[in-house]
Amino acid sequence: MSRWLAEALAVAAKDLRAEFRTRVALNSLALFALTTLAAVSYTIGPYRLAAEDRPFLLSVLLWIVIFFAALAGLDRSFVKEEESHTAPLLRLAAAPTVVWAGKLLYNLVLIFVLMAMLAPLFCVLMGFEIAMPWRFVMVLAVGGYGLAVITTIVAAIIAQAMTRGALFSVLSLPLLLPLLIIVIEGTRAVAMGDLASFSESLRAMITMAGAMTIVSAFLFPIVWRD
Amino acid sequence: MNRVGLALKWFLFVWMVVVIWAAFMWIPSAEGFKGESSRIVFFHVPTAWVATLAFLVSCIASGMYLWRREPKYDFGAAVSAGLGLLYAVLATVTGAIFAKIMWGAYWNWDPRQTSITILLLIYAAYFALRSAVADPEKRATLSAVYSILAFVTVPFLMFIVPRIYFSLHPDVMTNADPDNSLDSAHLIVLLASLAGFTGLSVWLYSVGTRIEKIRHRRRQEVL
Repeated sequence: MSRWLAEALAVAAKDLRAEFRTRVALNSLALFALTTLAAVSYTIGPYRLAAEDRPFLLSVLLWIVIFFAALAGLDRSFVKEEESHTAPLLRLAAAPTVVWAGKLLYNLVLIFVLMAMLAPLFCVLMGFEIAMPWRFVMVLAVGGYGLAVITTIVAAIIAQAMTRGALFSVLSLPLLLPLLIIVIEGTRAVAMGDLASFSESLRAMITMAGAMTIVSAFLFPIVWRD
Repeated sequence: MNRVGLALKWFLFVWMVVVIWAAFMWIPSAEGFKGESSRIVFFHVPTAWVATLAFLVSCIASGMYLWRREPKYDFGAAVSAGLGLLYAVLATVTGAIFAKIMWGAYWNWDPRQTSITILLLIYAAYFALRSAVADPEKRATLSAVYSILAFVTVPFLMFIVPRIYFSLHPDVMTNADPDNSLDSAHLIVLLASLAGFTGLSVWLYSVGTRIEKIRHRRRQEVL
């Protein structure tokens, strides 16, 4: 088990090292997020919305920025292995589940870096007041994890197909939409201090992320094999 | 076609005619609904049921394909997903008509409508994936994986999202409200309609898979 974890960490470290050489994924994530945030903030700012609408609209906007930035940056993880013809070597060097876990960790790091940057900035620029900050961090963490799990397996699928860029969004969005609806509801709940709704959406999020983790751990070796 | 199949097909036609006649002529209009709008339930519920069933069959066939690697399971999964998509569209349209009559608007993003939209998107994405992979074996594998992934989200759409948000749609599984339950005549027609639509989809499924098998054989002959 510890050997499996060490190998997965090695795959993730390899990807992160390669990423820091070019910073393609990080740059596209950050630039997409900042541009959208600038547009949203310029148009709406902290004063434009009526007080009772704020939690609803601001949580939707926050997650739209996060999800679409993720779609712009996370499709690379397997495509770059196929494009640089390093996938066969990776298949020889590591077991399929190790590769999956490594790529998942790598995507998680990217998403959490994005969130750590974006969420505070969003709250400051939009004047988004959160009634329960620690629970807000929990929603971000679980939502980000679910996002990473789903995009990892979809990225593995599209790396085998032909029209990759467009297909990534087409395949990811329907799978992500239920999660998106639930995390938006959770964010609204933590912003308004609605504990009952927070707990219900957190449980739904954990169930969904957990189910997706198990299913993709089983399915990934099939996608990766040929 | 063999004799039994032919007899079953004719039986199915007669059955559907009787169901349609009963739904429009025999049953009195239910109380508490505007005009004759309650009759749509005999078509809305079966189409939604068949859509769910077809997606379940598609998921099982995908699992069987990944296990056995035989092309026939891939045909089954694709045909079944196509049927599911068709019936989901029919369920959406009948639901929207009923919503217009009862609640005043065809579409208001009721949780049920949201979840059926996502379901339609998922299976449209399934066909987008199928058209993006040229190699038949790879296409079968990748679309089987996606179909199983997609099916994992279905319970969330059906049960969890409508629970978090308020919905006008009658509860499907746990109907606790005694005023909302059907009387026996309505129930008989609804069950007959469910059986008829299920039979119809089984027939369509067998036709679809036979077409796919012929196409497959043609491709083999050309190659």
